[in-house]
Amino acid sequence: MRKFAFAESGEGFVPPSTADFNLPPVFGNNEFTTKPILLVLFSVILISAFFIISSRKALVVPSKLQFAGESVYAFVRNSIGEEIIGREFMRFVPFLFTLFTFIITNNVFGIVPLLQFPAMSHVSFPYVLAIFSFIVFHYVGIKKQGLGKYLKGIAFMPGVPKFVYILLTPIEIATFFLVRPLTLSLRLFANMFAGHLLLLVFILGGEHMLSGGIGLKLIAPFAFAFGIGMTFFEFMVQCLQAYIFTLLTALFIAGALADEH
Amino acid sequence: MGRSNEEGAMWSIFGYLLSGLVIWGGIGWALDNWLDKNFFLLGGLLLGAGSSLYLTWLRFGRN
Repeated sequence: MRKFAFAESGEGFVPPSTADFNLPPVFGNNEFTTKPILLVLFSVILISAFFIISSRKALVVPSKLQFAGESVYAFVRNSIGEEIIGREFMRFVPFLFTLFTFIITNNVFGIVPLLQFPAMSHVSFPYVLAIFSFIVFHYVGIKKQGLGKYLKGIAFMPGVPKFVYILLTPIEIATFFLVRPLTLSLRLFANMFAGHLLLLVFILGGEHMLSGGIGLKLIAPFAFAFGIGMTFFEFMVQCLQAYIFTLLTALFIAGALADEH
Repeated sequence: MGRSNEEGAMWSIFGYLLSGLVIWGGIGWALDNWLDKNFFLLGGLLLGAGSSLYLTWLRFGRN
C-alpha cells in the first residue's frame, strides 16, 4: 500500500517505522482478522497438518516426510529436552516441542513470500508465550518441592553469611519473577521486530531508488542484493531465536526441578 | 554439560546482572528522589553490579 503512496506522489523516501507493523484488518473492520492473527492461526493449522500427515503412517523405514517430522521431534527431545532437563524430561517434551515448532514457524513466516510477516514482532505474542513458560516452570517447581521450599530455594542461596541476603534476595526474586519472563519475551520480540524492519529498509529503500535518477537506479540493485543477503541472515536469526526461547524454557524447568540450584 | 548449557548459563548470568542493576539502581534512584541527593543512584548501581557478580560466582563459579 505504501509503495503506491510514494511512487505516485514522488515525495522523499519515507523510512519504515512502527506504523508498518500495525496492519489493517483483512476482512472488513473486524480487528480479530489482522494479518498477524491470521498468520498465527495458519501456523497452527500448518504445524498440525504437517505432523499429523508425517506421523500417520509411521513406518520402520521412514518416508521423507516422516523423516523430516521425526528429525524436528528428535532435535527438541534430545538436544533440548534430554540434555537440559535430564531424567524427567519426557513429560515436558510436548510443551517444548509445541513452543519450538510454533515459534519457528511464525518466525520463518517473516521471510516466506506473500506471508512475509513475523507475528512475534508484535510484543503481545511473545508475552503470552513467556507467561506460559513462566506458569509451567513455577508450577513444576512448586509441585516438586512444595511452595515454601521452592520459594526458599529461590530467595536464599545456601552457604552465604546471613547479612548478605539483604543484597542477594531482592536480585534473586526479581530475576525469577520479573527478568526471566521479560527477557524471554523481549528477546524474541526485539529480534523479530528489528529483523523485519531491517528487511523493510533494504527492500523499500531499493524500490524507492528505482524511482529516482539514473545514479540511484544504478545503486538500487545493491540495496536489493543486500536485502536478499539479509533475508538469509534473518532466517538464521529466526531459527536461533526459536531455539533460544525453547532452550531457556527448558533451563528454567530444569532449575525448578533441581532441589537446590 | 554441552554447548546448550553454556548458552543457558550465559543468559542466566545476563539476567542476574540486569536485575542487580535494576533493583539496586532503582532503590538508589528512589532514595535520590526522596532525599534530594545525587549519590544514591551511583551507589545503588555499584552495589547492584557487585552483588550480581557475587551471586553469579556463587551459582556458577563455586564448584
